[in-house]
Amino acid sequence: MKDFILKNRYTLLLTTLTLYMAVLVAEGEITGREARIIDFENPFFDFNISNWEDFVDENR
Amino acid sequence: MDKILLRQFYALLRREVLEHRNLFLGAPAVVAFLILLATIWAANQIPNDQLVLGLEYLAMLFDGLSPFDMASFFMILSIPFMLTLYVCCLVYLINTLYQDRKEMSVLFWQSMPVSNLNTVLSKVVTVVIVAPLFYVAVIFGLYLIAMIWLTVLGYSNDVDLAGLGWLFLAALASLLLIYASTFVATLWLLPTIGWILLFSAFARKTPLLWAGGVFILVGFLEDFAFGTQYLANWVESRAANLNQYLILDFQNVLGRLFNYDMLFGVILGSILIAGAVYMRRFTD
Amino acid sequence: MSNIVEAKGLCKSYGKFKALNNVDLSIPNGSISGLIGPNGAGKTTVLKALTGLCDVEGELSVAGRDPREARHKLMQDVCFIADVGILPKWLKVSQIIDYVEAVHPKFDRSKAEKFLSTTEIPANKRVKELSKGMVTQLHLALVMAIEVKLLVLDEPTLGLDIIYRKEFYDRLLNDYYDGGRTIIISTHQVEEVETLLSHLIFINKGKIVLDAQMSDLAETYTEVLVDADKLAQADALSPIHIRNLLGKKSYTYESVPRSQLDVLGELYTPSVADLFVAKMKEDKHG
Repeated sequence: MKDFILKNRYTLLLTTLTLYMAVLVAEGEITGREARIIDFENPFFDFNISNWEDFVDENR
Repeated sequence: MDKILLRQFYALLRREVLEHRNLFLGAPAVVAFLILLATIWAANQIPNDQLVLGLEYLAMLFDGLSPFDMASFFMILSIPFMLTLYVCCLVYLINTLYQDRKEMSVLFWQSMPVSNLNTVLSKVVTVVIVAPLFYVAVIFGLYLIAMIWLTVLGYSNDVDLAGLGWLFLAALASLLLIYASTFVATLWLLPTIGWILLFSAFARKTPLLWAGGVFILVGFLEDFAFGTQYLANWVESRAANLNQYLILDFQNVLGRLFNYDMLFGVILGSILIAGAVYMRRFTD
Repeated sequence: MSNIVEAKGLCKSYGKFKALNNVDLSIPNGSISGLIGPNGAGKTTVLKALTGLCDVEGELSVAGRDPREARHKLMQDVCFIADVGILPKWLKVSQIIDYVEAVHPKFDRSKAEKFLSTTEIPANKRVKELSKGMVTQLHLALVMAIEVKLLVLDEPTLGLDIIYRKEFYDRLLNDYYDGGRTIIISTHQVEEVETLLSHLIFINKGKIVLDAQMSDLAETYTEVLVDADKLAQADALSPIHIRNLLGKKSYTYESVPRSQLDVLGELYTPSVADLFVAKMKEDKHG
């Protein structure tokens, strides 16, 4: 295992990024993290990523 | 054993500051100089008696009030410095594990008995602890000059100088706030620091392009392959929590340090930093 | 442990190019070993592998450690000077000395300053303002002030003029080498080092072509200036190299007893340079 990870810079990068994403995704799953609304007066900024389609419809 | 390590680490930090004097001393000095110039120009526009009136008002405003409560007043001045700090840290981090490989001086650095861990850690410590210290020192210098100028102005116009003393104390207290802000903000951004260091150590060319490109790629891949947006959500939660970037008063500084999101960020950042440490093996 | 370096089966590839192809090395303690080979032979790769600056496959032990695992611990006992001007250009001389002193437990500042006082290097100049010869002098001064077991030099005098080159080896031998330390020098300028060496290693195309004590060379290798009428006999004994010399043909033999060669003509022990050419050419013909 260690031989693979440290074989060259590309395998190391891949391993690091995979571990990083694994932890990030696991945490996202467990805590149910959602995109927050950034509060600005400008309505253009007042949207939630999960509401993207509604946003597109609204402003068509 | 520990004494040797400490001595080594101090030498490493010294190296970082010496090598990047422009970023850590020059840049804030330029910003301070510009602010000073702007202030002098603005002061020249205002007739003298109005200036003195303003000074009297300030002295009265601050007289007798706790410097810690009044420190927030000065935080607006800190914003140009903090922005400069972040930009300089970005430039510093992206180059720091790349430059010495490009010019082959890495062969010298690695011929010394300094572990890769200490090398990379010294760069993190430079960003989180040392660089803000220099910025605060420059801001202190700026405040000192301003104070002397105001005192001279006040003295020659019979303004009660006691209030100015309180003003100065509040300015000094704001320095603590500034340092606390940058400390919390850089720790909060440890994942970003780790990401940039990883690619600084990895790339053979154009490390910034690699760092940005791979980030976009990973986000895109995640959505494409799994239909999820964990990366985007997480980045957004990092960026949007403005509380962690600017501390405006002394209440609840600790709360910003010791919370779950901060801890999780430190863990994630540590994974990337560990990657950068191992990446130092590949010097070719 | 009588060998300070033990390497078996070292392999390193850059894509399809095999920089090291199954390299075995044993370097005795206290020797001055020359690693000689043409450009691109793999000298730098070997030396970088020994100092942990380059990852290789295979078994490797230097001063009792694996350089890939604990480079920074190994660097307490090993010092490395590379051919490219690797001292950081923006540092002042005094700052480099300060740094090494703080970072290396075996660095003796007074020794370094003593060596530097015999040069013309000013303490407050930056490395980028020094000439190439001065940079090498500085690096050598630093290295000589460190109590190491092994000194690895990768083409240390490349591009230097003759005065600096001579002084470099002078200092190395007289001030530094005390019989206890080991020195490994890689170079393609054979003539410069052949009088210094106690151990000789030839490398070509990533393979070790010769690995011998200098004192054994005379027994193994013989050059014969063959008389014109004995050419056929000379050919029969399988020379490793033939060349023209002074109107006659000179045959080089490996591991052929002198008694057999006596009859063919005048016998010599080949110089290291000639031996090097012989082995390189032999390699070519397969």
